[in-house]
Formats: sequence, structure tokens, C-alpha cells
Amino acid sequence: MRQIKNIKDLETIKKEVEQNESKYKYILNICGGAGCISSNCLKVKDAFEKAIEKYNLKDKVLLKITGCIGSCAIGPVAIIYPDRILYQKLQEEDAEKIVFSHFINGTFVRDLTYYDNHKKEYISKIDDIDYFKKQNKIVLRNCGITDCLSIEDYIAKNGYMAIAKILNGMSQEDVIKIVKDSGLRGRGGGGFPTGLKWELCKKNSATQKYIICNADEGDPGAFMDRSVLEGDPHSVLEGMMIGGYAIGATKGVIYVRAEYPLAIERLSIAIDQARKYGILGKNIFSSNFDFDVEIRIGAGAFVCGEETALIASVEGKRGEPTQKPPFPAEKGLFGKPTVINNVETFANIPAIILNGAEWFNKFGVKNNSGTKVFALAGDINNTGLVEVPMGTTLGEIIFDIGAGMKRNKKFKAAQTGGPSGGCITGDYLNTPVDYDSLKELGAIMGSGGLICMDEDKCMVDVARFFMEFVQEESCGKCFPCRVGTKRMLEILERITKGKGEEGDIELLENLGNMIKDAALCGLGQTAPNPVLSTIKYFREEYEEHIKNKKCRAGICSDLFISPCQNTCPAGINVPGYVSLIAAGRPEDAYDLIRKDNPFPSVCGRVCTHPCESKCRRGMLDEPVAIMDLKRYAADYVFKENKPRKDIVFPKNGKSIGIIGAGPSGLTCGYYLARLGYDITVYESQPVAGGVLAFGIPEYRLPKAILEREIKTIENVGVKILLNKEVGKDISFDELRKKHDAIYVATGTQFSKKINVEGEDLENIYHGLDFLKAVNFKKITKMDGIVAVIGGGNTAIDAARCAVRLGAKEVMIIYRRTIEDMPADKREIRDGIEEGIKIVELTAPVRFIGDKKVKEIECIKMELKGFDNQGRKKPYTLKGSEFKIKVDNVILAVSQYSDLPFIRKDEVQLTEWGTFIIEKDTMMTNIKGVFAGGDVVRGSDTVITAIADGKKAAINIDKFLGGKGILNTGEEIEIPKPTIDTEIVEHERFAMNYLKPEERMSNFKEVSLGFHKLNAIAEAMRCLRCDKRD
Amino acid sequence: MIEIQINNKSIKVPEGITILEAAKLNNIKIPTLCYLENFHKVGSCRICVVEVEGQRNLMASCITKVANGMKIFTNSKRVRNARKLIYDLILSDHPKDCLNCERNQNCELQELGSIIESDGEIFKEYAMSKSSIDNESPSIVRDNAKCILCRRCITMCNEVQGVGVIDIQNRGFKSIVSPYFNVSMNSASCTFCGQCTTVCPVGALKEKDSLTLVWEMLTNKKKRMVIQTAPAIRAALGEELGYPPGTLITGKMATAARLLGFDDVFDTNFSADLTIIEEGNEFLKRVKKVINGEKAVLPMITSCSPGWIKFIEHYYPELVDHLSTCKSPHMMLGALVKSYYAEKIGVKPEDFFVVSVMPCTAKKFEITREEMFIDGMPNVDAVLTTREFGKMIREAGIDFKNLEDSKFDDPLGISTGAADIFATTGGVMEAAIRTVYEIITGRELPFENLHIKSIVGFDRIKTAELKLENVLPEWKKLEGFVVKVAVTSGLVGAATLLEEIKAGKSPYHFIEVMGCPGGCISGGGQPRMTTDEVRKKRMEAIYKEDEGKELRKSHINPAIKSLYDEFLKEPLGEKSHKYLHTHYIKRGKQ
Repeated sequence: MRQIKNIKDLETIKKEVEQNESKYKYILNICGGAGCISSNCLKVKDAFEKAIEKYNLKDKVLLKITGCIGSCAIGPVAIIYPDRILYQKLQEEDAEKIVFSHFINGTFVRDLTYYDNHKKEYISKIDDIDYFKKQNKIVLRNCGITDCLSIEDYIAKNGYMAIAKILNGMSQEDVIKIVKDSGLRGRGGGGFPTGLKWELCKKNSATQKYIICNADEGDPGAFMDRSVLEGDPHSVLEGMMIGGYAIGATKGVIYVRAEYPLAIERLSIAIDQARKYGILGKNIFSSNFDFDVEIRIGAGAFVCGEETALIASVEGKRGEPTQKPPFPAEKGLFGKPTVINNVETFANIPAIILNGAEWFNKFGVKNNSGTKVFALAGDINNTGLVEVPMGTTLGEIIFDIGAGMKRNKKFKAAQTGGPSGGCITGDYLNTPVDYDSLKELGAIMGSGGLICMDEDKCMVDVARFFMEFVQEESCGKCFPCRVGTKRMLEILERITKGKGEEGDIELLENLGNMIKDAALCGLGQTAPNPVLSTIKYFREEYEEHIKNKKCRAGICSDLFISPCQNTCPAGINVPGYVSLIAAGRPEDAYDLIRKDNPFPSVCGRVCTHPCESKCRRGMLDEPVAIMDLKRYAADYVFKENKPRKDIVFPKNGKSIGIIGAGPSGLTCGYYLARLGYDITVYESQPVAGGVLAFGIPEYRLPKAILEREIKTIENVGVKILLNKEVGKDISFDELRKKHDAIYVATGTQFSKKINVEGEDLENIYHGLDFLKAVNFKKITKMDGIVAVIGGGNTAIDAARCAVRLGAKEVMIIYRRTIEDMPADKREIRDGIEEGIKIVELTAPVRFIGDKKVKEIECIKMELKGFDNQGRKKPYTLKGSEFKIKVDNVILAVSQYSDLPFIRKDEVQLTEWGTFIIEKDTMMTNIKGVFAGGDVVRGSDTVITAIADGKKAAINIDKFLGGKGILNTGEEIEIPKPTIDTEIVEHERFAMNYLKPEERMSNFKEVSLGFHKLNAIAEAMRCLRCDKRD
Repeated sequence: MIEIQINNKSIKVPEGITILEAAKLNNIKIPTLCYLENFHKVGSCRICVVEVEGQRNLMASCITKVANGMKIFTNSKRVRNARKLIYDLILSDHPKDCLNCERNQNCELQELGSIIESDGEIFKEYAMSKSSIDNESPSIVRDNAKCILCRRCITMCNEVQGVGVIDIQNRGFKSIVSPYFNVSMNSASCTFCGQCTTVCPVGALKEKDSLTLVWEMLTNKKKRMVIQTAPAIRAALGEELGYPPGTLITGKMATAARLLGFDDVFDTNFSADLTIIEEGNEFLKRVKKVINGEKAVLPMITSCSPGWIKFIEHYYPELVDHLSTCKSPHMMLGALVKSYYAEKIGVKPEDFFVVSVMPCTAKKFEITREEMFIDGMPNVDAVLTTREFGKMIREAGIDFKNLEDSKFDDPLGISTGAADIFATTGGVMEAAIRTVYEIITGRELPFENLHIKSIVGFDRIKTAELKLENVLPEWKKLEGFVVKVAVTSGLVGAATLLEEIKAGKSPYHFIEVMGCPGGCISGGGQPRMTTDEVRKKRMEAIYKEDEGKELRKSHINPAIKSLYDEFLKEPLGEKSHKYLHTHYIKRGKQ
């Protein structure tokens, strides 16, 4: 075989490859990364070959198997050059279609190209796809481009040109200087400056030195090293040669884990090729530099990523670390000075030598130059490998490139650096990802694994998972790591099983910090990180597990009966009542609901139903229509006129005063009355129900239905005094004298000002005031153009009321996009059906008019950066002001509470005017005065208000000497699940609705509820995850 | 010298030493657990961590070298908290049966507890990592539950002894110390040297119990109880009974043995002298053969150390012919008790129960070797280690320190100084040469105090050359012959010498091997811990005992003379063959 002896020889080969490629009309690159191989890309390749043969295109199309392109989620992937069209999720049968259409007819097959789920369109050109557009490839420069088994292809991309250039007259110091100037830091995770490491080793006068490539990639979910080795092995070899030359080593060792057979195979081929060309061996490029590389296969122990353990393993010993110092640069492999760098670090080197330090410094941020490859994993839409400049924000990586969380779930946290790393919460989505900023957050860069977690992840469980991993991987040499990680795991296991005890968190912290402090090696010193960082950011979740035996994410299965019940703030036994409906027992279902919530009719209509977002059925097709089924049960009981007789305990002689007849106050009264308390509810309005009565439009919650439900509460002895305003009609002090305890549940009924010029003009209403006026029939008509400002349920309610009041045109002006609107999705859909226009990315800056409002001056918004749930933050776009003509404006932004009856110096309030209560007892700083619902939480949902009312009842009973056990009537036997081996996929069963034209001019209830048959069928969709064996 | 600060005090210390050593030089004892001076420094227990200003992590002081300007804090809050928590962690994986553990009050973990303010049981519902007990071997018991994985035993087995039978198996919390695949030490090629048992800080490694049996037999009226004590016991037993290392307690030991109820109190020294006669003659026989042009296997290697014997049988089976066929001294004595002495006092051999007090754990295995049985009977019935014998005396309530001295019983209690030095490395060789030289030349060994200086001490391999001049007429052929000898203790040195033999490059004629580093004075059954200092003290005591004797050469022991006259007739004769010699098994590696 011919030998490569100088730069000219390299250039000859490069020219040959280019000439050869220019003969073809198309180049078909098929991704041969391990991910695509497991999704069968080799069969697709065969199919392509067959089709090319069949159509006699062998002279026209050059087919290559390339390294990993990174878009593993959509594999197998092929890219056709020069058109740069990307085909995704290829099947064997697609090959012929593409060959025929693309290569023969010259038209690409659109519906096989990339489909953007967000934008809902095909994006065929690789350069237009967000995922690729925002990347910057240095390390992965050849992956997806060159034939990964061809040294010539590598040479054609200036491969081995860097080492040739060096051996053609650069000194060791020259090389080290470039690497130092480039600012390259170790990509294995430690971030130690590579040039400095080389310099330290170079200075050692020993005659024998070694250079080792650490390819023992062990972080769960990380596979960048594997991809580089598989896709561009020569770049690593060249990097090692350069390093070897710089430090004065003639021997290199690549330590690869045995779990990477494809990487080992391709690497071996590459080494053979390089040896045959004389690129590895003696007198390389006619210089007197000798260098060769050997592969050592490690059995895959996580600890062997630790330099000293890796060296021990290469030496044939048990892979266990020893204390540093001495560092490998002084005393490494076989006691000789040794440099160990990571695969990714080496792959950067040739590019740095060829393009210079200055070029490299253009990427990234200060002290963190260049790019970093990340492996996106977890609950993210685009899983795979991405290479971005250092300092790209976490939000950009996760949302712009990774396309956000699957199933539109909320982002919760990202774990960087694998099990040794830490988690980063939504608050830091705008943090640039680089060594230093991550460290500041208590996380680490690590090798670049980025595990994304959505709201359904329990952080205690996540910590337990990582602890289990490191505990398994601990070599066992030093005591803190061997026993300490086990004890930490045991504590975490106890907590997740509901056996957590007071003091566990502190013990975890104490142990964790000690292990970090005292363990022998990097594994132990970082092992507690996931626990410490989850405690730091999610301490509340730990406390809930320990104190309340609650796992809010619905993961720790010993702590709840089903995810839906667990998620319901009121803890309603959802699978119980759903199965009762399925069994044809809607009355029992209704009674079961009322054990936890006296408002089934209301919640069956207006609940935000967080339960449904956790419904396991949702993973299969669609969540069970839990809310609608609740309504069905309640409606059935009333329609059939089957009055319930709630058992009430004999009067106990104690009396409770409740301020506010909203859902929270009435719930509290209901449960306390059933325990035998004398209940008086003071309501300032002429109707009971609070926000349910005046804040929710009739078409969503008819008055009659609310009244009948309140009646059931009055039936157990709750006295409601209407038009009785505390502070005016009766003083608070008088109230306190009259009652043994008081529950304040006055809610937040005052609309907030938005502080925009012209806000006080006529025909500008505030959301809740407007709805109140409509409900109390103070406003019965509305003309002209109505603009509603806001994106929540109040905004939609106001807009839909405006439609019903006769407005000519109704629009909602919202500063973000429709997807970001917090309002119920069904309500938005119904509103749009009724003709409401949504003006996205717009905010008012001025209301114009004289007396009456005439115009709104708006400004366009642009979305930049991220809030803590991954939503983009709106910023005004300067100079984009425009005007909208309006006749009426409704400002539906938010509400606040006011407590005129209490002396402000007497009670502790937050700066938002809400009560401060003692978390466990709900008592305010005034003895015997309790508070709950929105007056504590700020504007929140009906169901949390109800949940607070119930919890307050328990606490008040305890305060007055009771046991705090509610009287919820007799046990209801819940049907056993039928054994259904076959689960048939089926979306929700239909419910009846009024058509837009039937509802737009009146306030009739829009939703008509379930038909009995559909209700039973819908209830049968429940997977009964409450029953586990 | 460099300057450092420990706890805000500036001090000057030599460069290159560790923080632990620097602290010790300045009268600060940093608590340690896995650390074993001169042998084991791996920094795995982390009990000795200290805070070094500017370092992110706490540093293990036993392996971190001092550097100029270093500011070290040995008792900061961080350090004390870490120390305490690590201690709690160790305890959480250690049985709490201290009161019935044989290391009670002699346990390094316990001792640590006396200085660390532990919070006690801070964990709930935790698992113990291991529980298995390996008591299959006749010599050593390994109780994994008690093992704290300090790895000292591994260092002893792998690096000090070069045997490598035990190592860490599994990883992380499931780690255990064990032979490969967790087989028993009895099935692995363990030499039973017991060096591992001498360094174990807790009760995880110990000798197999023989005390129970011995106590039992002492109450058996039918048995005539014989006890013999090895040369090395007299210089070490004291440590078990409250004396400083190197105290000779020979006379009190004999008295104590009688108080315990033994009928005959003999001295293995007697048979050490006998060994010299038999082994010396065997050597001369081999030399003679070579001089006469006949085939004989040289160098000849001593055979008193059963750990060493098992080592060569496993690892160099092809070289077992180099071993002297002599049994070890206590086996010879046992065999003579049940023949010569039995005849003499008219007791049936089977009515004897011979107990050997030995510095050795391998001796417990040795007495089970069937090839050494005579007429179906073992030579010795039970072996007690020095530690066990000490415990026995303590249990019996004997006020050892106030005992009168007494002598061993006749006739098997009479010995010369040559026998005493069997206890230490170089001793057997010196004793042999004292006799052989005189046999050949008719003159006493011409050295000061009869010591051959070059083979005294703790160097791994020691050699000597001795030119034979003016020999007696019957040894004419040896005139001018230079006898080359080598002495080693510890199995690494033994392996080195055997490799030389294997390669045909051994220049020696006679080699002394003792299995334990330093010889029997630091045997596997000796009081813990055998530090270099203790070793030295014991050796000095042994030489003192030798030098204090009137008779210092085996061949002038009058009791030996009578033995040959009355019973054996001649060295290497028929009876010698039956009672005093044995053969070896080519075991190979298991």
C-alpha cells in the first residue's frame, strides 16, 4: 500500500476523493450511528442499494454510511446532497420511493422529510430545521458527512493535515501554546485546561510517557464519545497523535468500554488504516516522531472514568482509584507521566491546530471557549446529540433545539453531568451552560448528559434513582462512599415508601456533604450531588413525602392509590367513583365524591381538573374525562330527584363563624356542621357561592345548579347570612366573641389595575367586576368592538359573555401565544368557535379616547428567554406600536384581596395582602382565627379552595378538642376491577354541546353533559391503576 | 526541612513525610483505622482526614505528603464531623456483639470509639453488607460480618507475603474480602501463615479455636496432658499478660502450664536441638553425595515452618525435593512423647494428649497432615497460638506476674541456646552451622558469641559463606569447600530464592526459610500488633535467652545424647525415619 509521507500526499488523496465525488449527481448519506442502526438503518441502506441498482443509478448516486447526525429520535435518517434534504424515520419500503422520485424525477418526497410538530409543517431542508440550525459543529464536524469507515474521506476533510503541519516544523511548545491559547478545557467534565495539562506532562523529563484517551463513557443517557468514535474515529486518533507529540509520548491507549462494540470495531479499522498509510508507526510524515495507539477494552465500571482507576484498569488491576496527588501527569500509567483526555477533547484538537486558537475562541463565552456536545435525554421531544457553542442557555438547548417537553408537560428540572451532577430548575433556564455557571448552580458540566424532566417526575425519586446508580457503581474502596451512599439510598428509599422521618433531610444533607468532603475520588465526591441539589431546589417535595406522605408527582406508588386521586387537591377517590359509574351506581359515585368535596355539580363543570393531566390513560390515547363523569353523577342524582340524607352528629355546643360563602367557606361549614358544630356563614353579597355565583358565567355554571348544591350544604345545618358584611354589619371583634373559632375565606374579589395610561376611561371594565355585573344582570347588552386583555379563564369568560351580550366583534389581546394561554383549552376552543379573535403577542400601552375609550395603542411583543416553566418571556418590540379601534375594553389580568374588617396591625399579611397562616394548622397569628382559599393563596382554583375548606374543618375541629376526623358517612364499597387483558384504544366518548349558533345569543349552558351510555363507556376507559398487586 | 502549620502552630518537618507523620512528630495523634505503619497506606477509611487550607476536599493525612507552607487543621468542625459520621457509618455495617467478640478490649474499632464522640445509632432500617463466615480451614476463621474492609489483610497476603489468596471481591457495598469466587480459604491456595490475622483491626480474621478442645481435655481424667511451647513463645507471651514486648517469661510460663493442669511441661526447644542433629546430618549426607559424584538435591531448604511448606507445595511443587525431610520440631516432640516417652513412663501412646503452644496458625493445619500420622495417631493433638494460650492463662485466673519461675520437665524439656534462636529468622541456620561446623572441623564456630552476623536481622534475603579449613580426617574431601547459605523470612523472599533454583542459578547449598517476615517471633499466632519495633524487641530477647545459656550448641544437649543412646540409635536411622521425618505433597495452585 502507498505511504503518506507529507502534506502533498494528503492533498493528492483529498483531490482524488473530491474528483470521485464530483462524478456523482447525488450523494446519499445514511446515518450509521448506533441509534439509527437499532432502528434498522442497515436494512434501509440495503433497500436503497437495491433500488439504485434497479434503476441503474450506480454512476449517479454515491451512497455513504456516516457517523451519527444526532437526531436519534427521528432515525433512521438520510440526507441527500447537494440538495440537503433530510428524510426521517425511514422504512425499507421508502427507499425505492425516494430513489425514484428524488434521483430520477428530481422531486423530493415531502412527506418523508422532517415534520415539525410545533410548527405543524414539513421542513425538508436540513438547514431550515431548528434542531440543526442552532447547532455549531466542531467535534461532530464530520459526523453525517464523511463515510465513517474511510480514512480517505477523513483526509478529504483536511484530516491528518494538522499533525502533518505540526511535524513539518512546529515545536512541542508551539503546539501547547496553541492549545493553551484556544482555552480548550477538558470535555470529560472536569474542565481542566487541556493545554496546561499537556504542559505539566511535557515538563516532566521522563523518557517514557503515555497519552490515554478516556472513552469510558458511563453517564446514563450520554453517548457523545461513542458517537465520535463511531462516526469520526480518525479525528480522535489525530488528536491523540498531536497530544502525544506535544507531551513527548510515543504510545497512546484508548480505553473504551466493552459495551461499545461498534465503536471498538470502527476504531480498530481506523487504526489499521492509519498504520497501513504509515500515519501511525515509525517516522511519521518523514519526521522522527513515532506514535502508535492501542485499544484497551474496559468492562464498563463507572469508576473507571476516574483517571487513576482507569490507569489501574489499563494496567490489568482492579479498577479502583488512588488519591491524587500524585496526578497522572507526574505518575500515571505504569508509574510514568501520563495525560488522559476525553474523546471529545481530542476530537477538538485537529480543528484547533488547523484553524488557530483565535478561531476557536470565537465560539463560546469567556473562559469557556468552543462548543460542547450534549446528549438530550428524558422527557424532551427531540432526544439525541447536539453540539452548541458554550454559553448557549439551557432554555435554548431544551426548548429551541430540543423542542420542549413531550406531551406539552411543564418543564421541571434538567440533570446535567449525569449521576455526579446536579439538577437545574426552571428558574435557571436563561443561564448560559458552561463550566463555571453550572458549577455556581451546584451542578456540573460532566460529560454533557442532559436529562430533562417534566412535572411528572418526583425529585425524591429522581434522587433515589441516581443514588442507586452511584451506589451500585461505587468501587467500595473508601468508607464514606461504600457505606455512605448505601445509607443515603436507604434513607431515600424509606422516604419514597412513606417511611420518612423527621430529621431525614438533615441527615441526608449531613451525610451528603461529608461524603463530598471526605471521599477518596471524584465518584464519591460527586455522588451526593443529585440528592443535595434536589434538596436545595425541591426541599418542599421532600418535606411533603416525609410529613404528609405525599408525592405530588404521583411517582412514589406507596404514597397514593392512583395518580388522579393523588393530584386532586381535595384527594377525591377518582378511580372509586369512576368505577361506580361504570358499574351503573351513579348515586354511590356522587356520595363517594361528597366525602371529599361537597360541590360535585360545580366541580363537574368548572374544575381545572389537574387529575386528568396525570391520568395514565393519557399515555395510551386520551385521559379519562374525569370532570365530565363527576358532573354526570351529580346531574343524575338531581335529575332523578334522589335527595341525599347526610348523617349529622348531634350538636356539640360549639359555634363557628365563617366569613365568606364561597366554595372554601361553605365546604368548611359543611364538614364542621356534620361534626355537630353550629355554623354561621357571613356573606356580604346578596347571593351565596362567592365567585361561583358572580365570577363564572351562567353558560358555564347555571345559577340553579349552584343553588341546589348550596342547598345540600344548608341541609346539614349551615346558616348563611346574606348581605351581612363583616366590618360593616357586624364587627370582627363581635364575631370573635360570638364564636369559638373563625374561618376567613373571603377570596380575592378585587380586580388589579394594570397601570396603563387611560385605564380609567369609560367603557373600560375590570374582569371580575364585569362578570359580576353580567351575573347580577347589571349589564345586559354590549355593542361594538370589545377587546379583552388577558389570557386566563376570566379573559375567556369575559369575552364569551361579551359575545352573548351582542358585541359586534370580540377580540382577546394576549402578550404571548395561544399555546401559552393559561385558560382551559376547551374554553379557548369554544370561544374561537364563537368567533372570538385572538390577537397574540400584543400588549396595550395606552387607552385612547375622551371620556369613553376609542382606541387601544398596542405594542407587538417578541418572545425571548424563558420563564421557569419553559414558556418564553414576552418583551416589547420597540417601534411596533399600532392602534386598534374599540368600543369596550375588559381588563382581565388578576385579582387581589382586601380585608377591611381586620385591623392591619393586628394580623400578619403578605405584601400582596394575603393572610400568613401556620402551614400545618392553617391558623393565623390570631388564636382561633383560621384562613384558607384565595385569601391565603391569591387567585387560585375552585378545587384548592374546597380542599382548604376541608383541611380547615379538620384543623378547627382539632383546635376545639376534636380528633380532626371528618364525618363522611358510611363506607362505600368500590367495585373490584374486571380483569381486562385486552385494552382497546379508544378516545373519549362524546358529550353533547350546544352548537355555536344555538348558544351565542343567550346564556344557556353550553355543555349538555354525558348521555348515560357514553358515561358508562367513558368510565370503563379507566385503567384502574388504584388496584396494584 | 520545610515549614508547615498544624492547628495554627508553625513547625518545621522533613520534606517527603505525610501529614500524619508530621503530626506525630509534633505530638498530635490523628486517629487512624486502615493505616498500618510501614505496611498499609491506602487512605481508604478516611478516618484520618484533615483540613488543608485551600483544598476543596478533606485530605487523608496518612497518604498526603506535607508541602511547604501547608496549613493543616486536625480538629476543625468539618474534620470532626466527618470523622464522627464515618465512624457512625462503619458501626452501621458492623455487628454490635462486642461483649462476646474475641477482640473485646483489643479492638482498634472499639478504641476509636473511645475517642470519637459518636451520635450512636443514627440510621434506621439499614442493611448489613455481609454475613458469611469461612471456618472451613483448620487454621484461620474469616468472619465477613465483622470485616470493615480496611484491606490490611490484603496487603499482607499480596504484598508482604506475595501469596495473593485474598482480595476484594464484588464492588461497592457488596465488597467482601475473600479468595476468588468466594471459595473458602481452605480450598484456595492459602498457606495459613496467618499474617492476615495479625493485622486485622477487628474480629474478622482470627485463628481457628482450639481452646475449647484443650479446656475440655484438661478435665478428661483418662488423658495424660502434655504441653510444649515453641521457642518464640517465651519472648512474646508476656505481651498477652501485660508485659512490654521483649520480656522473657520462660520460667513463669512453665509454672502457669502446670497450674493449668498439664501433666508434662515440655519445651519444643528440645526437639529444635534434635532437628539440628537430624537436619544437619541430612545436609551433610547430601553434601557427601555431591562430593562423591552422586546425585543429591541441593540446596537443601529447612522445613520447620508449615506455612512455608504449604507455600512451596502450592506454588513450586516441582521443588519440594529441596526440602529437608525433617518434621517441624513440635511434631518431632509430639512423636517422641507418644513413643520414646510413653515407653519410658509406661503410658499408652493413645492416652496422651499433646498440646503445642505455637506462634503460628499454620501449625493448626500441620497437625492434620495425614502423612505425619504414626500408627493412625497424630503427633500433636492440638495447637494453641500464643494469643490463645495467653487468653487461657487469663481465663484461668492465674496471677501470672507473681508466679515463681520453674523449669521444664525432663527429659524433653532440656535444650541449648541453639534451640532458642529457632524463633527468629537466621536462627535455624546459625544453630545448624554451630553444629555442622563443629562436626566437620572439630572446632567451635570461630565467631563472637557464636553469631553469624550476616544472617542476623530483618533483611529480606541474607547470605553467608563459610570456608571449611583444617577439617577432620573423615571430612577430608571438604577441605577448602566454601559453604554458601541463604536465609529468608516471608514468602516473597522465599519465592525469589526458589525462582533462582528453578532457573538453575542458585549458588547456595543450604537455605533457611521461615514463612513469616522476621521468623516465628512475628508469626501469625503472635500477639497483635507486630510492629517493626515489637519485632526487634522480641528478637533481642531471643538472642539474650540464647546467650544466657550454658549449653549453646544442639549436639552437646545431654538429653539428646540420651535419646539417641536409648531410642533413636543414630541420626537418620530407622526410628528417626519413622518418627522424625516426613514427605511432601505436590499440591499445585488451586
